[in-house]
Amino acid sequence: MPMGHTATAEAGSGGLTATEHRLANGLRVILSEDHLTPVAAVCLWYDVGSRHEVKGRTGLAHLFEHLMFQGSGQVKGNGHFELVQGAGGSLNGTTSFERTNYFETMPAHQLELALWLEADRMGSLLTALDDESMENQRDVVKNERRQRYDNVPYGTAFEKLTALVYPEGHPYHHTPIGSMDDLDAATLDDARAFFRTYYAPNNAVLSVVGDIDPEQTLAWVEKYFGTIPAHDGKPAPRDGALPDVMGQQVREVVEEEVPARALMAAYRLPQDDTRACDAADIALTVLGGGESSRLYNRLVRRDRTAVAAGFGMLRLAGAPSLGWLDVKTSGDVEVPVIEAAVDEELARFAEEGPSEEEMERAQAQLEREWLDRLGTVAGRADSLCRYAVLFGDPQRALTAVQRILEVSAEEVREVARQRLRPDNRAVLVYEPTTPAEAAEADGESAESHQSHESDEEAGA
Amino acid sequence: MTEQLASMDFHPRPQAGEPKPWAFPAPERGVLPNGLTVLRCHRPGQQVVAVEVHLDAPLDAEPAGLDGVATIMARAFSEGTDKHSAEEFAAELERCGATWDAHADHPGVRVSLEVPVSRLPKALALLADALRAPAFEDSEIERLVRNRLDEIPHETANPAIRAAKELSKHLFPAGSRLSRPRQGSEETVAAVETGAVRAFYEKHVRPAAATAVVVGDLAGTDLDALLADTLGGWTGGTASPRTVQPVTADDTGRVVIVDRPGAVQTQLRIGRIGPDKHDRAWAAQVLGTYCLGGTLTSRLDRVLREEKGYTYGVRAYAQPLLSTREGTGAAMLSISGSVDTPNTAPALEDLWKVLRTLAAEGLTDAERDTAVQNLVGVAPLKFETAAAVASTLADQVEQQLPDDFQAQLYRQLVETGTVEATAAVVSAFPADRLVTILVGDAAQIEEPVRALGLGEVTVVKG
Repeated sequence: MPMGHTATAEAGSGGLTATEHRLANGLRVILSEDHLTPVAAVCLWYDVGSRHEVKGRTGLAHLFEHLMFQGSGQVKGNGHFELVQGAGGSLNGTTSFERTNYFETMPAHQLELALWLEADRMGSLLTALDDESMENQRDVVKNERRQRYDNVPYGTAFEKLTALVYPEGHPYHHTPIGSMDDLDAATLDDARAFFRTYYAPNNAVLSVVGDIDPEQTLAWVEKYFGTIPAHDGKPAPRDGALPDVMGQQVREVVEEEVPARALMAAYRLPQDDTRACDAADIALTVLGGGESSRLYNRLVRRDRTAVAAGFGMLRLAGAPSLGWLDVKTSGDVEVPVIEAAVDEELARFAEEGPSEEEMERAQAQLEREWLDRLGTVAGRADSLCRYAVLFGDPQRALTAVQRILEVSAEEVREVARQRLRPDNRAVLVYEPTTPAEAAEADGESAESHQSHESDEEAGA
Repeated sequence: MTEQLASMDFHPRPQAGEPKPWAFPAPERGVLPNGLTVLRCHRPGQQVVAVEVHLDAPLDAEPAGLDGVATIMARAFSEGTDKHSAEEFAAELERCGATWDAHADHPGVRVSLEVPVSRLPKALALLADALRAPAFEDSEIERLVRNRLDEIPHETANPAIRAAKELSKHLFPAGSRLSRPRQGSEETVAAVETGAVRAFYEKHVRPAAATAVVVGDLAGTDLDALLADTLGGWTGGTASPRTVQPVTADDTGRVVIVDRPGAVQTQLRIGRIGPDKHDRAWAAQVLGTYCLGGTLTSRLDRVLREEKGYTYGVRAYAQPLLSTREGTGAAMLSISGSVDTPNTAPALEDLWKVLRTLAAEGLTDAERDTAVQNLVGVAPLKFETAAAVASTLADQVEQQLPDDFQAQLYRQLVETGTVEATAAVVSAFPADRLVTILVGDAAQIEEPVRALGLGEVTVVKG
């Protein structure tokens, strides 16, 4: 039943609308109609991510996500994949620090099948879960870790940076992929307990977006999900609160077989869905987003000391967000040269703030990113779930771009002044070694690939 | 766990509703007075417009010893014009909220632009400036050359890229441009100077030898007037027909190990060449290749991933490489993925078993049906955005295919039977005619791989 929101577009939503409903078992449902293309996206967010994991069991949320594709009460083996793909749909699941999501994008006339499949595993996964799938998917996930992180240059950089920014014991200290030892240690009983604790209708949000009949869709949702029992007893995640700034610079030098020296750094930034977070996003875009940014102009164009230079941002709801600097040096350039230039640019920016033109460019870039995200049914379904799960209000997804455009240059300067400081960052320096030296140094060749993603996917 | 089963009402699997019609969009084709071919396609609701420009400047037109000059030229398009400096050009583009990508590949150079429709006029003007009057300043070209040289070690270090380059080197004749890296080697890129970039531009870049594709919600846009004001102002001579050498390759079964001591995984790249989209067997090859390795439930991953856990995923592909309307082109057929080091030989053994079983027993009707339903059914999702439509239309242009190729392909897929799909995939991936590249720890994998008898095994330095 609707909870007050009707399908009337809010100001700044670009004409997009969404309605909200709740089943008796607590499942929240968001519907958004769009008849441009005969497709429908189903997205289901469970409010559980790697931040809920306990010591010794890192990677469990993601490993569990894989198990969700191994069959359930009425679905055999890989049936979930087979049925969706055989219906002309596409699907996957991903795990991040703060949530696990599952999604299907279907031809509109196959929507009911996706709802049936999601309900089946939400209500009956444990009847199918066995040792064989557990052992198999453990190996698959370990190979995912090797492929995406351990066997590519700089691949473990993000993992190292988060470990430096969020202290030992903090729920975000480890990334969703987890450690090899913990993946080895996970048991079938752990997986069962994880499902019983976190996979419940009252710990999930379902969104359906696209060429749908809302009334019919809601009736299907009620039919398939309505009798899945709610259950409580989910422990609150450990508190992710931290001081706004780290208070001192931490630093790690990695000697590895990488192709070039690199300077990376992670800054603690304001939490997501705040004005200060939007301001930080603009600051990072002006400083290091794209080929007209200050750091690109300085390091790649003018000084010619770097082959690539930029900032990325990971928005987080339950802990300080993270701003990630990544610079790969050119030729024989040494890291201190880069570091001095970066510090100079950040200090100058904190002093003078963005120019009018820089604000316009950064806001235009961020606006296009939002248009891209909301422009597909799958992207919109995911954004609606995100704002519902993390901030309690899916409508905010539709007006997020408006909020970015409202931020002032002074707010951008202020957040840069407060946060983009040497005493609020973890620095990671890569110094290349030859293969022989690497073997001597630590006995392993942890080459890696620089990936900003915190999402682990079920399908390759 | 039985409590879970007991407490929920189960319903039978629902049947599909009535499918709604969908067809791959038909573009409208025209030619501007300056000779530029334009394909346009109105997609209601797509507020981000995609523009793709194909320039008939193929890699084999690069002068000897200057591999990479097309890449440097493509990158230099956005590094200043007669109106803007390099920094200003980048700033103007981003002020439009636009994204820009330019790269050189075997069939030609592609420039891709995406921009919110409200700022399309400004972005098209920048695009026109870049093609009409690129600055090619010495200092910017020097920087791009050095930047490109800095990138090469990063690519070499990446196992997937390293494997792909090694495969081309072994598959194609030494004299063929196809055998060498698309973006040049350290030696050839270092030789690229402004004069060579400008000469390549003057010889190959002109409106009569280019096609622009514009896709998006164009309802409120007078595209004719806009094009006349922007790309219409670009001038140049007529285009002369080009001859393309037929693509050949040596697919004698053999293995090359690129040695990476200590690597925790082995990157596989197994390939040869085969029919491209001009071949009547293309639809059947698409279908058969999907059944072999298109997804997690295809034959390869069913064993290598979901049964054995050797990999996060192995895929089989057919990707057009260089095509002509005369049918002298080819597609790269390959199998790619990575497996953990100790299981390298067992994974290859299973992979070959899958290929041999497929050849001996063929595909099943059920496999074929699922594949058709997926390949045809996902089309509306795959082409939801303007960018996806524009990119496919531009691919068709550079492969010298008719504008309705993709639309016809869906019809052909529906009509392709199990026997044809089997024949196509078995002929595409014959067990004894595949070149295998393994980027991994030779000390651990060489002997067990040799024992598999996949052909001659050589080891090269990583």
